[in-house]
Amino acid sequence: MTQIPVTVLTGYLGAGKTTLLNRILTEEHGKKYAVVVNEFGEVGIDNDLVVNADEEVFEMNNGCICCTVRGDLIRILGGLMKRQDKFDGILIETTGLADPAPVAQTFFVDDDVRQRTWLDSIITVVDAHHVVQRLEDSHEALEQIAFADIILLNKTDLMPADELAQVESRIRSINATAVIQHTQRCEVELDKVLGRRAFDLDRILAFEPDFLSEDDHEHDDAVKSISLRTERPLDGVSLTGWLQHLLAEQGQDLLRTKGILSIAGQDKQYVIQAVHMMMEVNYTKPWSPDEKRESRLVFIGRNIDESVLRQQFDACIA
Amino acid sequence: MSLSAVQGRTSLFERIGTSQKLDAYVVGAVFLKEGLLAAALGDGQVAFINSENISPPSFVSVHDGTCLSLAVDLEEQCVLTGGDDGRLVSTDTEGKTAAIATIAGRWVEPIVVSRASGLRAAAFGKTVCLFAQDGKAVGQFDHSNTVGGLAFDPKGRRVAAAHYGGISLWWAKASTQEPKRLNWSGSHLDLTWSPDGKYIVTAMQENALHGWRVSDDVDMQMSGYPTKVKSMSWLPKGRYLATGGADSVICWPFHGKSGPMGKAPVDIGWGFESVVTVVAAHPRHDVVAAGYKDGAAILVQIDRPHPVLVKQPGEGAVTALAWSADGQHLALGTESGFVCRISLSDWRAPDN
Repeated sequence: MTQIPVTVLTGYLGAGKTTLLNRILTEEHGKKYAVVVNEFGEVGIDNDLVVNADEEVFEMNNGCICCTVRGDLIRILGGLMKRQDKFDGILIETTGLADPAPVAQTFFVDDDVRQRTWLDSIITVVDAHHVVQRLEDSHEALEQIAFADIILLNKTDLMPADELAQVESRIRSINATAVIQHTQRCEVELDKVLGRRAFDLDRILAFEPDFLSEDDHEHDDAVKSISLRTERPLDGVSLTGWLQHLLAEQGQDLLRTKGILSIAGQDKQYVIQAVHMMMEVNYTKPWSPDEKRESRLVFIGRNIDESVLRQQFDACIA
Repeated sequence: MSLSAVQGRTSLFERIGTSQKLDAYVVGAVFLKEGLLAAALGDGQVAFINSENISPPSFVSVHDGTCLSLAVDLEEQCVLTGGDDGRLVSTDTEGKTAAIATIAGRWVEPIVVSRASGLRAAAFGKTVCLFAQDGKAVGQFDHSNTVGGLAFDPKGRRVAAAHYGGISLWWAKASTQEPKRLNWSGSHLDLTWSPDGKYIVTAMQENALHGWRVSDDVDMQMSGYPTKVKSMSWLPKGRYLATGGADSVICWPFHGKSGPMGKAPVDIGWGFESVVTVVAAHPRHDVVAAGYKDGAAILVQIDRPHPVLVKQPGEGAVTALAWSADGQHLALGTESGFVCRISLSDWRAPDN
C-alpha cells in the first residue's frame, strides 16, 4: 500500500498560509494534492479536491490529558483513501488559532492514519512585521512557531535588516531546530517545503540546532529551546529510562524533542523524536569513521529547567 | 494470514463463485430482490450486478466524489447512498437517481433505514436528518460533534447517534425535544442497536466496544482488541454480536439476562495473521462471514471450531460483505474493486 505524504500548514491569521497553499497548488509540478481546510477558512483555494474540516480535537481515553488527536482528520484521511482519483500528497491548512499538537499526534496515535499516510512536516508561516506583537498577545502563535519544522518568515520586504535579524533571533530562541526561510509573498522553492520528511527518524540525519549566545536573549518567551551535547558515549539503559520518565512526567510541557545520540557499545546512531509524550526511537545509520560521535538532544518546551535537564543528561554518560 | 493455513485448500469462491473487477474501492454491498447485488464505489458510482453473471454490471454515476455509505432503501428495489459531495441519493435498479437532500461541504456518512417506521436517517456531519418515504424531511437533530454511527431501535421510533463523548437518543417523531445523553469518555465511531432493542453498542477510537443496556443505562466495556473495531453484526435474534478488529471473529454473548457482562466472548478463528475488517452475520443461522485485511474470507459457525475458507488472500483488504435476505447468496468486495459472489443454496457446512 502506498503511503501518502501529509504537510501541515499553520500560521496566524493573515500571515500568508493561503498564499503558500495556492503557490504550492499552482506551481508546475504535475502533482495532485488533496487539500483539507478549516470550515471558517479563507476562501479561494485553487484546487479540485478541497475538503472542509472542523478541527474536532478529541482527548484520547487513555488517561493522558495532553494526548489529543484531530478526530475529523482521522475520518477525512480514511474517506480520501477510498477515492478513485489518486493524489500525490495531502495539504492540511489549520486555523490561525489552532494548536498544532493534536494534528501531529494524530499521526502517532491512529494506526489507520499511520498505515496510509506519513507526516512530512509542519510548516508555520509567520508575518515578519507582526510576529513580535503576536508573540506578546497570542499563546497559539508561540505554539505554532515552537512546533514547526519549517518556518516561512514572510513579508520580509521593506523590513530593515537589523529589525529582521531581531525577529529571527526571537524565533530562534523559541525553536532552535526549524529551518527558517525568508520569503516575500511566500515565494519559496517547493523542494524547500515539501518532501522534507521531518518526522522520519532516518532523515533526522544531521540537524544542527542554531543556538544564540546568552547576550542575544532580549525576551523570555514562555517556550524556548534548549540543547544538550556531549562527546562522551551515553549508557543506553540509563538514557532510555530517563527519557521515558521525563516525557511521562513533563510531556505536557515538552512540545518537541529531537536527538541524535551516541550510545556506548553501539555503532549506529540512536535517534529520538517526540511530540509531547509520543516518542519514537530507533537505531538508524552507523556513525561514519570520520564523524565526531557527538550526542545532541534538543527540547522545545515551557517550564524547562536547563540546568536540571543537563544534570540528568550528564548522569546518563556511560 | 499464514500461507500454510490455506495452502492446498480450495476456497468456496474458487469452487462455486463468480467475480467482477470494478476498479474502484468497494465501500459497501447489499442484495436487492432476486439476487441482484448493488455495490457502492469509491469513484462515486453504484454498480448493479445480476445474479447469473450473464451480463456485465451496470454502473450509475451517483456522487461527485466517493460514496461513503450504502443501504437498501425503503423501496426495496432502490439503494440509498451518502457521499462526500454532501448528497443523500436514492438510486433504482434502472439507474434513475433522486437526491433526497444536499448539504454542501458536509460528508454524508452513516445512513440507516427503518422499514418498521418507514423512516430514513442520515448524518450530514454533526446534523442527523430524518426523511419519510416521500422524501420529506421530518426531523433534524444537531450534535456538538460529528456523528460517526447511527441506528434505529427495532420499531424505528428512536434514533441513536454516536459521537465524541457518548451517544444521543432521539425520538423519531417528537417535534421539539432534548436528546437523552449517555456519556462515556472517548470518541465513538460506530453504533449498533440490538435486534431485541435491549442494548446499544458503540465501536470506539480506543480499540474497544462500549455498550449500554437501554432499560437502565448500565455501561458495558468490551475491550482487548488489537486494532479498532470497524465492523459489527448481530447474529439471528441478537444472540451474539460478531465483531472484527482481531485476528479471529469475536462474538459477544447477548442472550443471557445481563448480556455480555462478566462473560468471555466466543473467539473463532484459524490462526490467521491478518485482522478481520468486515463481519456479516447470516440472516437465519448462527453463521458469520468474515473478511480479512489481506483479502481472505471465511465462514464461521458458533460452537464449531473449524471455519470454512470462502476466499484466498489477495485483491486487497475486504471492505464489504453482504448476505441476501434468504441467506442463500453471499457477496464480498475489496478495496481494489474485486467483487465476488457465491450462491450457497446447494452448499451445506461440513459437519466437523
